[in-house]
Order: sequence, then C-alpha cells, then structure tokens
Amino acid sequence: MTIWWRRHRNWLTPALLLAPGLFLFLVVIIWSSLETFWISFFDWDGMGVKTWVGLANYRELLDDPQFYVSLKNNLIWLLMFLLAPPAGLAIAFLVNQKIAGMRVMKSLFFMPLVLATVTVGVIFTWFYDPTFGLLALLFRAFGAEAPALLSNEHLVTFAVVASALWPQIAFCMVLFLAGLNNLDEELIGAGRVDGARGLAMLWHVVLPQLTQVAFIAVAITIVGALRSFDAISVMTAGGPFGSSTTLAYQMYEQSLFSYRFGYGAAIATILFLIMAVFIAWYLRGLIRAEKGA
Amino acid sequence: MTIDRISLRPTRRAFMGGMGAAASTALFAPAIAQSRQLTIISNRGNADQRKAVENIAADFGKAAGVSVTVNNMDHEAHKTAIRNYLVASPPDICFWFSGQRMRSFVEKNLFEDISDLIAKENWAGPMGTSIGAVTVNGKQYGLPTGGILWGLFYRQDTFDQFGLKAPETFEDFFTLAAQSKKAGLTPMSIGTKDMWTAGGWFDHMNLRINGLDHHMDLMAGKIKYTDASLKEVFDLWERLVKADFFSANHTSYAWDPAAAAVVQKKAAMIDLGNFIKYAFPADDLAQVRFKPFPSIRPGVAQYEDFSVDSIHIPSGARNKEAAKEFLAYFYKPENLGAYLAPEGNMPARSDCPVGNDPILKMAAESMKTIKGTAQYFDRDTDPDLAQAGMKGFQEFMVRPERREQILGQIERTRARIYG
Amino acid sequence: MYPRAIPENRPLSRFAYGLLVALVLALWLLPLFAVIMTSFRSFDDVMAGNYWGWPSKIQVFENYAAVFQQSKMLDYFLNSLIITIPSTIAVLVLSTMTGFVLSRYPFPGAMVIFALFVGGNFLPQQIMMIPIRDLMVATGLYDTFWALILFHVAFQTGFATLFMRNFIAALPSELFQAARAEGASPWQTLIHIVAPLVRPALAALAILVFTFIWNDYFWAVVLTQSDAVKPVTAGLSNLRGEWVSQWNIVSAATILVAVPPVLMFFLMQKHFISGLTMGAVKG
Repeated sequence: MTIWWRRHRNWLTPALLLAPGLFLFLVVIIWSSLETFWISFFDWDGMGVKTWVGLANYRELLDDPQFYVSLKNNLIWLLMFLLAPPAGLAIAFLVNQKIAGMRVMKSLFFMPLVLATVTVGVIFTWFYDPTFGLLALLFRAFGAEAPALLSNEHLVTFAVVASALWPQIAFCMVLFLAGLNNLDEELIGAGRVDGARGLAMLWHVVLPQLTQVAFIAVAITIVGALRSFDAISVMTAGGPFGSSTTLAYQMYEQSLFSYRFGYGAAIATILFLIMAVFIAWYLRGLIRAEKGA
Repeated sequence: MTIDRISLRPTRRAFMGGMGAAASTALFAPAIAQSRQLTIISNRGNADQRKAVENIAADFGKAAGVSVTVNNMDHEAHKTAIRNYLVASPPDICFWFSGQRMRSFVEKNLFEDISDLIAKENWAGPMGTSIGAVTVNGKQYGLPTGGILWGLFYRQDTFDQFGLKAPETFEDFFTLAAQSKKAGLTPMSIGTKDMWTAGGWFDHMNLRINGLDHHMDLMAGKIKYTDASLKEVFDLWERLVKADFFSANHTSYAWDPAAAAVVQKKAAMIDLGNFIKYAFPADDLAQVRFKPFPSIRPGVAQYEDFSVDSIHIPSGARNKEAAKEFLAYFYKPENLGAYLAPEGNMPARSDCPVGNDPILKMAAESMKTIKGTAQYFDRDTDPDLAQAGMKGFQEFMVRPERREQILGQIERTRARIYG
Repeated sequence: MYPRAIPENRPLSRFAYGLLVALVLALWLLPLFAVIMTSFRSFDDVMAGNYWGWPSKIQVFENYAAVFQQSKMLDYFLNSLIITIPSTIAVLVLSTMTGFVLSRYPFPGAMVIFALFVGGNFLPQQIMMIPIRDLMVATGLYDTFWALILFHVAFQTGFATLFMRNFIAALPSELFQAARAEGASPWQTLIHIVAPLVRPALAALAILVFTFIWNDYFWAVVLTQSDAVKPVTAGLSNLRGEWVSQWNIVSAATILVAVPPVLMFFLMQKHFISGLTMGAVKG
C-alpha cells in the first residue's frame, strides 16, 4: 500500500486535492447552470407545467426593444466600472503605511462593501432626490435647479453606476492590499538601488508584480458590471420606464416579477455568452502573462 | 509535473446521500416537537401588526394546546418566497392577497378549499361582498382579512388657505390645476418610481369611463390595449399631463416623498390608499380629508379599487385540522380587529369594529356608496402584463406623445399571454 | 514595501500623512455618515424628506433598541455566524487545494477546469434559483443551515479558486523546484511551502468571502423559511413594511449588521504581512 501510494502520490495527491472543490462546484453550480440553459427553451412560470417552445424565447428577446436598452446600459456599466480597479489601487497605495491608526482607517475604507446594498441604494436615492436631496440642496444654495438624474432616461444609468462604484472600489482595494503585501521586497530594494523612484518604480517594478491581482480585480469588476442588478432594483426599479435596465436586471425582473423563468433563462444564457467572450479573453491573457513571467 | 489521468465523474446520488445523512444531525435540522403543531408564515412589515399576529397565535396555542411557530418574512421577499415554499415545504397558514393573485395559486392546487369552514362558521353573512374576492368556481380558498380603499387625499387647511375645492367632475381637475398653480402648489402629487401609482391612476380613469365590467375584462386580457374604448382614457389623461397637473420629475419619487409634498403643503392632492396616514405627523392627521376620484362619464356608477389581503391554508399543509381551528379563532371579530388595527386597513368583516382611525372612518363612510370593486392594477391582471402595463403608463405620464408605441408594446404583452 | 515607508524618525511627516489619509477617508465615507445620521433620525423626519438636515429629534437609543425589539435580531446574528464561519473556512480550505493544483500541476484539461470555475462565477445567481431550490428539497436540506452552507461554499469556491490559483501562480517557481529537488511530496509542498506563503492572500480572501456570505439575502429567501435558520439580513429586511419602511431603524440595523465583517477585516490585517521573503526559501 505505502509503496503503491509513494509511486502514485505525485498525481494522486493533486487529484484528491482538486476533487472536493471541483465536485461541489460541478454538482451545485455547473449543474444548476446547465439546467438554466435547458429551461430557456420552455415557457414556464416557475411552478406549473413547462411548455417546450424551442427557440421562441430567444427570438422574442431579439425583437424586444428592452433587450437593446439593457445591452447599451451594460456597456455603460462596464466602462464606468473599470474605474474601480485603478481607484482601488490608488487607495491601497494610500493606506499601505505602518502609521498609528492606519489599521482602523483601512478597515473603515472597507466599510462600503459591507453595508447592506439596500441601505446604500436608498441613501444614494436620497442624494439624487430632486426636492429633498443633497444634490438639490447644493444646487439651490447656488440659486440653481438640480437635474432630476434618476428621472432622466439618458443620465439615470450613470447616476446608478456611480453609487455601485463605491463598494466596488472598496472590493478592489482589498485585493490590491493583499497584492501589495505580497510584493518581493528584494526586487523593490534592488529597484531603489538602481535609482528607480516614483512612477518609474511603479511602472517597472511594482505593477508587473501586481499583474495577477490586477487580473482578478479586472475580472471581478467585469463580472460585477455585467451581473449588477441590486443597485438598479433599489434606486430605479429599471426606470424611468425601463431606461436603466441591464441584462441581469431584466432577467431578475422577468423571472421574479413577471414569473417568466424561461425568458429569464434565455436572457441569462445570452448574458453568459457575452461573458464567455470575456472569460476567453481573460484566460488567454492569463496564460500569456504566465508564459512571459 | 503532469497528472496523467484524473477521473472526476461525480455521481449525484452518492453526493446527495452523503449530505442527506449529514443533515439529519439534530443541530442542523428544524426542530420537531412532540405535540400538535402549527406553523404560520406571516408577511407583515408593521412591527405592531407582527406583534398582534404573535399574540393571537400564542393565545390560540394556549387555548387549543397547539405549539405554534410564527415565521415572519418581509413583504417583498415573501412574494418570491411563497412560490418556493408552497411547492417545497408549505406551512399550515400563510398570508397572501385575494383576487387574481390567489386564483393563480388555486389553479395550481396550492391553496386548500375551506368552503366547509366558512359554511360551518356562518361567515358568509358578515363577509358580505368580500367573499367574492376569495371565491373561485363557487368555492372559498381563503379568508379576506382587510383592505385598502383608494382615492384622493388632501389637507383641509391647505384647501381653506388657498380656497381650493375638491373636484367632483373631471373638468374640476383643471380648475384645481389653475388655482393650485396660482398658489404655487403642485395640483396632484404623485411618485411613479415604483410604477404602481401610475397603474392606480389608470384604474380610476378607466373605472369612471368604462365601468367595472369593462375594466375586469381588460384585466382578464379579453380587451386589447389598443381598443377604441380606451381612447378616451388616454385622451383625458394626456390633457392632464399636458396641463402639468402631476408632480414634476415624478419618476424620481416613491409614494412617500410624494405624500410628504401634500403634508408640507407643497401639493394640493394625492391619489393613494389609507396607508397615507404614515406620512402625517400625528398632530396633522385631523386635517386629512378623503375624496373619491371624481366622476367622468355620466351614468357610470361608482366603482373603486379596494385591495383585499387574505389568509390561507396551503393544500400541502401538514396540520390542516389545527390550521382550520386557528382560522376560526383568528377570524373572530375581536381578533381580526386587533390584527388590522395597527396597519389601519378596512376590515373585510362587516361586524368588525373600524376603531377610531379618522382616515379609516372616512373610508368606511365612502364604502357605503360603492357599487362594485376592483382590487388594483397589479393585483387584478397577470403579473407579467401588470409589469408591462405599469411601465407603459409611467412612460405615458412623461412622454404622452409616445402613446401609440407604448400601447402597442403593452398590447404585444397582452397578446402573448392571452392570445 | 511600496509605497516607500515614511521613516519612523520623522514623526511630523507621519502625522501629516495620517491626517491626509483621514481627510480622504472622511470624504470617502460621506455616504456612511448619511446612513449614521439617518439611524439617529425620527421616523417623522424620514417621511418628511428631512434626509440631510439636522434631525429634528435625535433618537439614537430608541432606534438601535428598536432593531432588537422589532425583530429577533440576536437569533439572526447567531444564525449568520453558524452559516458564515464554517462556510468561510470550508471555502478557504477547498480553494487553497484547488488553486494549488490548478496553478502548479499543469495536467491536460487543467485550463478547462479552471475555466469552469471562472465561468460558473459569471452567471447571475438569481437564475439558478429553482434548480438550487429543487436540489436542496431533493436532498432534504431545504430550510436548514446546510442548504445555505452548501450553496455558499460551492458558489464562493469558484471565485476563491480564481483568487488562490492566481496567487499561488505568482509565487516564484524556484521555491517549487527546490522543494521537488529535496523530494517533498505534493502534500508537503502544500503544507510547508504554499500555506505559509499565501497567508496574506488567505486573509484577504477570508474577509471577502465572509462579507459576501454574511451579506447574502437572496438565497436566505429562497432556501429557508423558518426564523430558526434565517440569517441577519432577513432580520434587517423584516424592518421593511408593505408600504412604509422605517429607514431610520433599517439604517441602525445596517450599521449593526456591518460590524462583524469590519471587525473581521480589522483582525485579519495582522496576517497581511508578506510571507514571501528569501528566508522562506532558505529555511
């Protein structure tokens, strides 16, 4: 037995290490996702009989003007959300010092991620409120009338993303803090000896070491941008008249309010296909970065 | 190093078996008591009302020797949860809404027929017309608890101060608009952020123009949204929108800031239900007045939105006998009254005291002249269509020029659901 | 350390820098102050739209006490701990193992498996509602702690594997070559080389995973119905009504609910110290 184990442990141990996590993930998450894909071919209210409709949900989706509004908004989310990784990195740099009180301050920078999304959404809604909002009060102090951002079909998405960026930046900050603490001191020391300072040091010595973390931060931010729905749900309910929906929100609305699980699943499938492009791009970049390293 | 062969084919059954065994550890399984049991899922958000439910449950438990568990969910989440728990693991009692929302569960055999209980307790009399809200094909599937009566609200002192008059006819709306604006007030406060308020306005217009039968046919998907009968509704509504009758930027507000505008004398009136009392500081409640929506087409009787909540036994309940005993206890006038009082809804039993809530008294008075009731746009029609409709109405109130496109979109949804 | 540490012997600069960070922090936390102010307000203020002005009546004690009076908040807190702590530990263990294998044993298909972990993460969770519910009902786990633990562990393992794999991949390969040269088994490599070195990553991951599980409400609604197993987010939502939400009390609850994850962040920071020094290789 022990001899057998010794001969095979070099592949058996990794297999055994991988098995539990993979197994759980396959059974719970992947299996359910496949079931979702399957549901997208049915007309189903989530409780009663499923009716096979083939590709009808997909055809309807392509004809649905709301779908294109969601796509456009997803793009806005994506572009604005990509501000989160650099902003998070900046804060991580700012707080990466050993000074009295810094640990407490770091913890407080992390707060936005912890606060219940509903409450954050409500607070930002109050910020934008055209009568009682802080924005309105500020504008009025200067004798101007504040724009009703959440009523403006062209600006509403920007206003919602701004509120969602707040926790997302905190998220990226945690990732980069972990990354900064994993920097190779020798390399930085060597850089300092070579006279690298400030931006040059950042660009040539620090950032290359943060690539892996940056990869995670960007991936998570993209996922966040594409998957977002709760800020929308609290702040606008997709409105005014559907102008702030994203694919994820539309899916949520269709499944949970309109009880159209088949249609919701079709939206999720399309959303996944879009994400698959990012996943492919992401993995390619990852493999390249590792080969280069 | 490479791993040559990894076999990772999970068998689902083995996994489930293993986890099932783990689940049976006492700590992680729901408690199982020995005596008679009753599980209630409540969706009450008002703290005092939650307490009332718990008190009634505890008193019943003591009297009947049943160990009662009350689980409370927040109102919105409960709408999602009920569709899960009715299928997965139903409680013995749950709270819900009568009318179409109840019917959709009845059609799936998820609510128990309690006609025998109603007959035995002789409730048909005290329930009066509200029995219709829980009846499907001549059988009752729940008990109507209390309802919300919808109409226009205003402050008497605001009206006195600016010499305003509550509108009796549709044209009075324009008088109100002119006078309010002269006084620097918003004529009609409304917050359409959550969309249902726009659905309610549509209900009132259509009930006054086309009457109850037409409205219910429309809600049941039998009439097209592009039908000529609706033209007047949208024509008149458009006139209101163009007269700047409603709050500016109303899509930014939920109902509460809209009501605050009335409380703070920045707006003349608001179309809402009796829960408007929450918006008023206690001292100002005496100023609140209720006025039914004005009549529009002559000869159409007074029909109103009256949204009735209800209580049910899921058909998968494990303790149906105890559940029926509980309903009999809960539905006693004094208990029903205690349950309804904190939230201030109209009792569905005529022999149940209204209490001294001034708004409720006005509503009760108004109820006497009503010839028939609908429930509310999002309670009367298919949820999918309700969502599309309210969204469309919200858009119409901002961009009336898009009427054709908006109604076309709602009609497409109606046609998809009802054919 | 980067940015360069401000030297100990320049207390004035250190103080000035601390002040600067505090200033940025104050700006950063403006919305939080709004939540805190709201948690001091009266319900009448909230209904009247007095969101930003000085509260007409300050009622700190009433609001925070109401959180506990109006819902079984303490029970819910305990439930949340029962769900969150084991889930977080399980995720850390599982993902360190998967991340280690996927980054250091490039067997054929490793990338496919990794892609599965990443891809499964990308789906909006709501759409899995019914399959997951059915799975939990079929296994008899519905409405137990296990249902939430199992789901959270499975779901977070996807993100955590992505995270750990990348961190372990970033470790210098010389370490692993040296270990192999000394005849260390994969298990020994994991325990004696990887585990100490990824401590900062594990600390960060623990914070994030803990927070995500702690803040979940959707799955609590889908997979549980008894107050006996509901997490603290359900208690928070219980304060919201059909028509009226007492935002002042919800805000107070929000602050209370946020305490454990922030505390966790504070405590985990001492593990944020780099394990990666040349000493580790030589030792």
